[in-house]
Amino acid sequence: MIAAGLRWLDRLIAMTGKEFKQLFRDPILLAVLFYFFSADIYLAANGIHMDLRQASLMVLDRDQSATSRELIQRFRMPYFDLRGELFDAHQAQTLLDRGEVLAVLSIPPQFQRDLQAGLPVAVQFRVDASNAILGTLAISYAEEILARFSQEQALERLGGGIQLQAVPRIEDLHRVYYNPNQNNPWFMSISELLTITTMLSLMLPAAAAVREKERGTIEQLVVTPLSPLQILLPKILSMGIVIVSGVAASLFLVIEPAFQLPIRGSLSLFFLVTALYVFATAGLGLFIASLSRTFGQVVMLVILLMMPLLLLSGAWTPPEAMPDFLRHAMIFSPLAHYIELAYGILLKGAGLAVLWDSLLGLALLGSLLFSFGLWHFRRQFD
Amino acid sequence: MRFSRIQALIYKEWREILRDRLYSLMTFGVPAITLIVLGYGISTDVERIPFAVLDGDQSTLSREYLHRFMDSRYFDFQGEATDTRVLDTLLADSRIRFALIIPPQFQRDLLAGRSVAVQSLIDGIFPYRAQVNKGYVSAINAHFSTWLLENYLMERGFSQAAARRTIQPVRLEIRALYNQAVRSRWSMGSGLIMLVLMFSPPFLTALGIVREKENGSIYNIYASPVSSGEFLLGKLLPYVFLSSINVFLLWALATGLFGTPFKGNPWFFLGASFLFVTCTTGIGLLISLLARTQAAAAILAMVLTFIPAILYSGLLVPVESMDAATRSQAQLFPGVYYLQIVWGSFLKGLGWSVLWDKVALLGIYALIVWTLGLHSFHKRPKR
Repeated sequence: MIAAGLRWLDRLIAMTGKEFKQLFRDPILLAVLFYFFSADIYLAANGIHMDLRQASLMVLDRDQSATSRELIQRFRMPYFDLRGELFDAHQAQTLLDRGEVLAVLSIPPQFQRDLQAGLPVAVQFRVDASNAILGTLAISYAEEILARFSQEQALERLGGGIQLQAVPRIEDLHRVYYNPNQNNPWFMSISELLTITTMLSLMLPAAAAVREKERGTIEQLVVTPLSPLQILLPKILSMGIVIVSGVAASLFLVIEPAFQLPIRGSLSLFFLVTALYVFATAGLGLFIASLSRTFGQVVMLVILLMMPLLLLSGAWTPPEAMPDFLRHAMIFSPLAHYIELAYGILLKGAGLAVLWDSLLGLALLGSLLFSFGLWHFRRQFD
Repeated sequence: MRFSRIQALIYKEWREILRDRLYSLMTFGVPAITLIVLGYGISTDVERIPFAVLDGDQSTLSREYLHRFMDSRYFDFQGEATDTRVLDTLLADSRIRFALIIPPQFQRDLLAGRSVAVQSLIDGIFPYRAQVNKGYVSAINAHFSTWLLENYLMERGFSQAAARRTIQPVRLEIRALYNQAVRSRWSMGSGLIMLVLMFSPPFLTALGIVREKENGSIYNIYASPVSSGEFLLGKLLPYVFLSSINVFLLWALATGLFGTPFKGNPWFFLGASFLFVTCTTGIGLLISLLARTQAAAAILAMVLTFIPAILYSGLLVPVESMDAATRSQAQLFPGVYYLQIVWGSFLKGLGWSVLWDKVALLGIYALIVWTLGLHSFHKRPKR
C-alpha cells in the first residue's frame, strides 16, 4: 500500500521534473517570464497615473482684469498645465479638434465689472471628452476650482466680517482609507501582478498539455504505466510553482522595495489564495486544451476568455458601473474573487473574518473548474 | 521574387486557415466577440458607488441631505449603520466603497447658522474611483450648502434671485465636446477597435509562422526554391487581408451596436486602419523570428501587443497623465497613434488634414517593422 503510494509519488515527481526541464529549455519563454515579473510590473506601476496630471489648458480671457487673472491662476500644476492665452474662439476650436489642448477656459468680457455689480456671470469650460476618463477628471477638477472661487467671491460680497464657520454650510471632510495619498503605484502594481498571474496560469499549463497532443507524444505517454492524473498534474504543478514563485519574487523584490507597498495582512493567507487561484485558472486552461487540437486554437480560446476576465473583473475599471447582468456574471469569474482577496489582504489588512465569502467562492469555483478541466482532458485518453 | 510562388504560398496558407474550422471561426469570432463583450461591459464611468450612512442626527434636515446622495445616479444606497465600526467592516469587505457620517445636532447647528462638518470615508484602493468619488461628494455638499445659504439669506430679507446671485456669483458652464454625455460607451465602443486590431493580427501571424517551425514543416520551405522574401509575403498577406476584413466588421459593430457616431471620412479611416493592421502584422513577424515554440510566441505577443494595448495606448490610462519616461515608452507602440485616428475619425470628424502626422508615423512604423523582419529571416538558420 505504502509502496504503491510512494511509487505513485515517485512517478509524479519524475514527470514534474520533465516539465521543468522542458520549460528551462525554452530561453525566450524564460526571458519573457522574467520580464513579466520584474520590469513589466515596475514600468506599469511607476509611470502610470489615473488622475489628472498636467492636463493642457488654454484660456480665452476677454476681460483681462485682476479678477479674471486670479481665477486663471487657480488652474495650475500639477493638475492643469496652462499653455498660454488664445485670442479668438475659432482658434480654440481648432486646437481642441487637433487634440493639442484638452480644455479651453473662456472668460467673458466685463467679468470683473459684472461680478462687482452683483450680476450673474458664467465662465465657459470647453473640454475634449472623446477620452471619457480625461473628460470626467478635467470637469471634476474644474468644478471644484470654480466652486471654491465662487464661494470666496460670495463671502467677500456678503461683507468682510463673515467667517466661513458662521454661515450654515457643509464642511467637506474626506478621509481616504487604505491608500490615503491615492498613491497610484500601489494600485497599478497589484493590478498588473494579478493580470500577469491570470495570463500565465491560463496559458502555460494549457500550452504544456496541447503540445503533447500536437506533437503526438501523448501517444507515448498513454502506453506508459502512468495514469492520466500523473500525466496532467505535473504540468499544472510545475507551472504553478513557477508562477507562484514569480509572484513572490515580484512582490518582495520589486513592488515592496520600489513602491513601499505596505503589506497589511497575512502573507501566508495571500500565498495560499494565490496558489488556489493559479490552480483554478489552470483547470480552466486544461479544459481549453482538451477542446483544442492545436496550439493556435488554444491561444484563440484563451484570448476569448481572458479579455473579459481581465477587463471586466475590476482590475482596471470600477466594476460598479457595468450592466447588471455582467456584474452578476462576475460571480463566476475566479479573478473577481481573487482581486477582492488580494487587495483585501495586501492593502486593507483584512483577514478571514471579512474575506471568508470570497475565499469560499474562489475555492468552490476553483475545485469545480479544476476537476472539470481534469475530467474533460482525461476523457481523451480512453 | 516571383509572383506565382507567392500566390501559391498565399493559397496554401489560406487553405490551412480555412481547414482548421475552430481557428478560422476564431479569426473572425475573437475580434467580434471581444468588441461586443467589452464594449458592453467596460465602463470607466464612476457610477452607482455603493455607500452606507451613519446618521447621528435622524432629523428632517439630515434626511433631506441624505436624499441628495440617494437620488443621485452616482451613488447606490446600501443601508444605514449605527456604529462606525460597522462602516469600517463594510468598507473592508468592499460591500460599500464610501461611507457618510452625519454628526448629531446636524439640523440644530445648521438652523442656528453654524457650519457643520460631514465626514466621508472613501475606499482608496482604486485611486481613480476615489478621486471621482471625492469630486461627487464635494459637488453634492456644495449644492446643499448653496441651498442652505439661500434659505438663510431669504430669512434675512433677500429675494430668492438676489440670494442666489449672492451665493453663487460665478457659474461654470461645461461644454463637453465630441461626447456630450461624457459616457465611456462611445470612447470604448470605438477605442476597442484599436485594442482588437493591436493584438489579433500579431497572434495570428506569429503562430502561423512558429507553428511551421515547431512541427518542422518549415524545412520544406528551406529546401524549396522559394526565397525568404516570397515565403514571408505569402505568409503575411493572408493575415493582413483577414484583418482588413475585420476592420469592416468592427466598424459595423461600433456604429451599429454601440451607436457610436462616425463623423469622419470612411475612406481615410479604412486606409489608416489598413496601415495599422500592416504594422501589427509586422510586429507578429518580429515575434515569430524571436520565438521557437508557440508557447513562447504567444507569451511574447502578450508582452508586445496585449499589455501595451491596455496600458500604453491611452484607452484605459490617459497618456497625458504619464511620466515623461513612460510616455516615451508608450510612443514605441503604434496603438497610441491609431487610437487618435480612431477617436478623431469617429467622434471628432477629423480627416487627413489634421491626422496626417499620425498616419505618416504608422507608415514609417510599418516600413521599419517589415524591413527588419524581412532582413532578419534566413532560410539557413544559425543552429
